[in-house]
Amino acid sequence: MKESMYKRMKDLPSAHLLGTGTPMCAGCGGLEALHEIYDVLGSRTVFVNAAGCMTLLATYPFTPFRGSWLYTAMASAPAGAQGIRDALDILLQRRSITKEEDLDVVVLTGDGAAYGMGLSATSGAIERGLDFLYICYDNEGYGNTGQQYSGATPHGARTATSRGPSGFAGFKKDLFSIWAAHKPTYVATVIGAEPLDLARKVEKAKQLDGPRLIIALAPCPTGWDYEPRHTADIGKLAVQTGIWPLKEYVDGTVTHTRMPRPRRPVAEYLKMQGRFAHLFLDQRGKHMLAEIQARIDRYWDTVEA
Amino acid sequence: MTRELLTGNLAAAWGARLARVDYVPAFPITPQTEIIETLSDWYDSGVMAGRLVTLESEHSMITAAGAAAATGVRVFSATSSQGLLYGMEMIYTVAGWRVPFVLVNVSRALAAPVTLEPDHNDILAARDSGMLQIHCANCQEVLDSLLIAYRLAEDPRVRLPVIVNLDGFYLSFTREPVIIPEPGAVDAFLPAFDAESIRFRASQPESQAVAVLGGSPYSYFRYETHLAALEALKVYDEVAADFTARFGRSHAAVEDYRCGDAEIVLVMMGSFATKAREAVERLRDAGVAAGLLRPRLLRPFPADRLREYLAGKRGVAVIDQNLSMGKGGVLHSEIASALYGRKDAPPVLTSFIGGLGGRDISAEEFYEMVSVTREAADSGTVPPPRLLYTRDELREVRKLQTIARVERSELGKEP
Amino acid sequence: MKTASRILGRAFFAEGFEVQDAPRYGAERRGAPIFAYVRAAREAINERGIITTPDLVVVADDTLPAIPAAGTLAGVDDRTVLLIISREPADTWRSRLNLSCSVVVIREDVESPVSEEMPFKGAVCAGGAAHLVGVIPRPTLAQAIERELDSMPAAMIEANLEHGLAAFDQLADHAGAVQQGVGVSADNPRPPQWVDLPLQPAGAAAPVIQAAATSVEVHTGLWRSVRPVIDDERCVGCWWVCSTFCPDGAIEVRDGRPHIDYEHCKGCMVCVAKCPPHAIDTIPEHAAQQADREDHHRDA
Repeated sequence: MKESMYKRMKDLPSAHLLGTGTPMCAGCGGLEALHEIYDVLGSRTVFVNAAGCMTLLATYPFTPFRGSWLYTAMASAPAGAQGIRDALDILLQRRSITKEEDLDVVVLTGDGAAYGMGLSATSGAIERGLDFLYICYDNEGYGNTGQQYSGATPHGARTATSRGPSGFAGFKKDLFSIWAAHKPTYVATVIGAEPLDLARKVEKAKQLDGPRLIIALAPCPTGWDYEPRHTADIGKLAVQTGIWPLKEYVDGTVTHTRMPRPRRPVAEYLKMQGRFAHLFLDQRGKHMLAEIQARIDRYWDTVEA
Repeated sequence: MTRELLTGNLAAAWGARLARVDYVPAFPITPQTEIIETLSDWYDSGVMAGRLVTLESEHSMITAAGAAAATGVRVFSATSSQGLLYGMEMIYTVAGWRVPFVLVNVSRALAAPVTLEPDHNDILAARDSGMLQIHCANCQEVLDSLLIAYRLAEDPRVRLPVIVNLDGFYLSFTREPVIIPEPGAVDAFLPAFDAESIRFRASQPESQAVAVLGGSPYSYFRYETHLAALEALKVYDEVAADFTARFGRSHAAVEDYRCGDAEIVLVMMGSFATKAREAVERLRDAGVAAGLLRPRLLRPFPADRLREYLAGKRGVAVIDQNLSMGKGGVLHSEIASALYGRKDAPPVLTSFIGGLGGRDISAEEFYEMVSVTREAADSGTVPPPRLLYTRDELREVRKLQTIARVERSELGKEP
Repeated sequence: MKTASRILGRAFFAEGFEVQDAPRYGAERRGAPIFAYVRAAREAINERGIITTPDLVVVADDTLPAIPAAGTLAGVDDRTVLLIISREPADTWRSRLNLSCSVVVIREDVESPVSEEMPFKGAVCAGGAAHLVGVIPRPTLAQAIERELDSMPAAMIEANLEHGLAAFDQLADHAGAVQQGVGVSADNPRPPQWVDLPLQPAGAAAPVIQAAATSVEVHTGLWRSVRPVIDDERCVGCWWVCSTFCPDGAIEVRDGRPHIDYEHCKGCMVCVAKCPPHAIDTIPEHAAQQADREDHHRDA
């Protein structure tokens, strides 16, 4: 592994590859992460997309990509990546194309596809050792349809299908561990609000072969109910409160790339979002808040032990 | 050129081998599995160059097939029944991508109740998808149709995926003598796939299968797919003619068996049509002027051809090996729409449902269908649609029902 | 505008009208201009979908009418009434947009409770429209606002009522200005110019884009209601902050300094929140456009 070229913020790319003029919401945390990722990955890529918010990034005849794109369906973007990778390998093998014409195959899906409908296809792609990069922008709900809860929705969050006084009763699925349990080449969590950490991880993933998977927590002003200008601040707080651990899995080992010390109370992160407003109203909310904090504390106790 | 005993499945595998397919995304399902097992062996032993990859579902398999074709390699895949339905979202989707590849469907009746033997409800569920459909009646046709299908799919005027359909058991597991053409002759008939402008290359950024908003661009793209499918009729005729010129075997869009001077014509698809052919032969021996029409192409639908063949006939009996719940036979509706309002259309169009779940159709039943249709022509009264089902069969089912009930009541008893 | 259409639809309904109201969604997400429409009639409504020849067009964001791409004036003819929430008078709009139809303005000013604040725009638009159509009494409007906003906190409903009714009252002179349109006449109609679609090669007839970054043709700058403006004196040139965090990549770096691309900036203000020396100011978009126009006039 080469030493990272991203040592300081100054080292981040100053020219941005992803085209402007996309239909994503103003302040979209997923787009923030994607444009940072794209700057590192470059345009010799083909993005294979599953149904979600970002499907409309390419809306005929407009695309922000300088490389290629294929929209598949909600469940099978990793299988689309399989078809393209295999076809490129076959073309390379029989010398129908030169190495210069090869592309990095990148799956781009939201959490709805990654945590749910497309999980079987992802599992299959990893088990086949597919050489691809998976980027999940995780806005913790079915954002494109109005933020109903998904397998990525955190405990207590109000969504369009969990409007009750306690919000979502379930717990955010640990996709990082599910992916890591497959023993792929690389798994990481990132966030657009920590661009240096993000750039290093994408850079590392780009240099490796085999299945490489990255989850980008994507603060969502529309679905999480906050003013768009807070996207990066909420992202920073997600890391500083420890609710979104920045980590990577390589060769069977999980390493945390940021240790939030001291950790800020998770209430600081939650209170900025309308979806958690009910946690700050009454006694029940107070209890839930304490539970959420305790779960985060337990997580970090294990990490730091 | 060799003549060899091959099952329908092996004939399909040979078709893919002779077409020099680069890539086979696969998923096992009865009664198709033999095809992918055979291809897997051939790739492993180096007889074929390329790659077979088993996906985790048919939905993923068809996605991978479309994506690989979109990248510019020749792709083959195969499925059946529930698998085709599981992948149905992608069947519709990849047609809209305008990517050429060939999918073999080994017809098997659909659940519920789940079963193994064939009828055509699986393949007919793909009727409106934009994938073209070729229906085979014997094992030779399976092999030949694959080669024709690649030419058709990859023709720049068409550029659509094609399904080649063969019936489970009756073809898939049935060995027949099949002529395996010489690879050189096939190469001359079917040159390497040229993806032209639709393909992924680093030097040429390309966004494929892009979303559209608004009914106008959507209508445009959808109708263009329809126009390409219609154009495929003309292209099919050219390709089939070239095939005949090179290999001597004829695979017209509509098979006409003794239709010319027939008064009553049977219309049906698939391998059971060879039974109808035999029945026509016997009827002729008995002095009945019967004939058979078998559409090999269902999409594009050769309506003009069928109309010409059926013009002036006294009666037509459509035998559907499928059932559209609440409507009846699908082919019957298709034929009716082709004939409606024509001055020379046959006055009588009878409808029979038979062969569901592989239920056999006997010679006597064919004779009776012709007889019923002729009587309808004489009387001018068309009988209601008829399910081919005998008293003995019902008696058997009653026995099964009795057992099913007895077992339940036995279980409920105290020991 | 969805709220406005629902309040207006509800008010018509309460007055015994048959009604259709619907928002129209496109590819764009929150922050992008959105439109909604209302049909009302004493008899059953058979029309559906987008209104092609509106009797009344209500514009909530006065930065939009001057931009053709926003399509706010689509289908406007001489008998249409155009209602704009604006600080500028109707005559200015009529001449600026070169319109021959009647233009009515709901004034946004400090004295009036009618404000440009987003939470109230739905009620304001509906309030103004209700008076213009001339068949909705004030109490009916009030009931409709309460009914449509009943999931909001009481204080918000109260504030919306105040704003909506103030807009209604402001347009007393224009009561009934909107005339009910008639359908497309079947007497001597203009036939549609149908064409037979030609078969095109798949390269053109498939939904494929064979080009890079064409999205820059889409000017998402018109989504903005506030504009971030970099103060060059305070900017310390740490471009990697604002330019990296901008979700849209709409801050270019030239000669080591950040430049905001106003054709595409959606006005999310992440850059304002992140700028270390607080060198990016927040200016209301209409004020910024006014300043642009004045600069333009001066230069001309």
